[in-house]
Amino acid sequence: MSNEQEIKQLVMERLKTLPDNAGLSIGAQGEFNRDELISHVQNGDEIGQKIIEVELSFLRGLKEGILYET
Amino acid sequence: MKHNLLITRPNFDVTTRYLFVWAKKIIELAEKKCGKIFDLKKQRANRKEFESVMRKHEPGLVFLNGHGDERTVAGQDNEVLIRAGENEEILKAKIVYALSCRSGKILGPYSVKAGADAYIGYDEDFYFLYDNDKQSRPEQDKTAEMFLEPASQVMVFLLKNHSPQEAHINSKKSFACQARKLLTSSATSLESSAVKYLIWNMQHQVCVEK
Repeated sequence: MSNEQEIKQLVMERLKTLPDNAGLSIGAQGEFNRDELISHVQNGDEIGQKIIEVELSFLRGLKEGILYET
Repeated sequence: MKHNLLITRPNFDVTTRYLFVWAKKIIELAEKKCGKIFDLKKQRANRKEFESVMRKHEPGLVFLNGHGDERTVAGQDNEVLIRAGENEEILKAKIVYALSCRSGKILGPYSVKAGADAYIGYDEDFYFLYDNDKQSRPEQDKTAEMFLEPASQVMVFLLKNHSPQEAHINSKKSFACQARKLLTSSATSLESSAVKYLIWNMQHQVCVEK
């Protein structure tokens, strides 16, 4: 599995923990439920890339102690 | 000093419905702390009315709710209210908070260059989770509250006469505090999922000043 595929898989697994009654607002991009988010990540489209970016940014931030700097 | 406040509150989709309801809480606080309040809600959140109130009443504080991008903030039905390079001078001598996606990237700096005292916004998309079962009663949605409460702190602190920088820092602290609370073993899966979006919003809130 390529690095990119591994990251997609990680993000999709993490999205699966969202309850099915939860929605995510991404401003003017619209609102998405869990299955739609997973599908966007799987397709690697613009919304999917945004979701991946948030996840990776979070993991990097935790490593750098972002929550304890503020 | 008591500022006059102008607030825009479009309401035409899920996202703007939530912002509309949450901003009502700010109006309630402003009624105690502000001079005049100009509430441009729903159809009144249009460019003609926005520019007219801004020029006639010159409110010191401006709270924009709605969709946006790097160069714009929009009102009802996505009608552009302010566009960088077009009418940002209307924000001259104002303190602005845009609860809107990405306008902190270009519109914010343009506004300050055109004379705004400060522009607080987000330089990336603003994310929030919500409970689908509470869509028709956003004020009861504890999921959305985790996001909109820290975001509202900018206005809460501005209304208490804190500086824009203090309001910005306190809002970021509120995002961090919320995220830390959710990073416990007793957090639900929803709460654990919320943390990354809270941190994102915190990291991308910006304050541009003169």
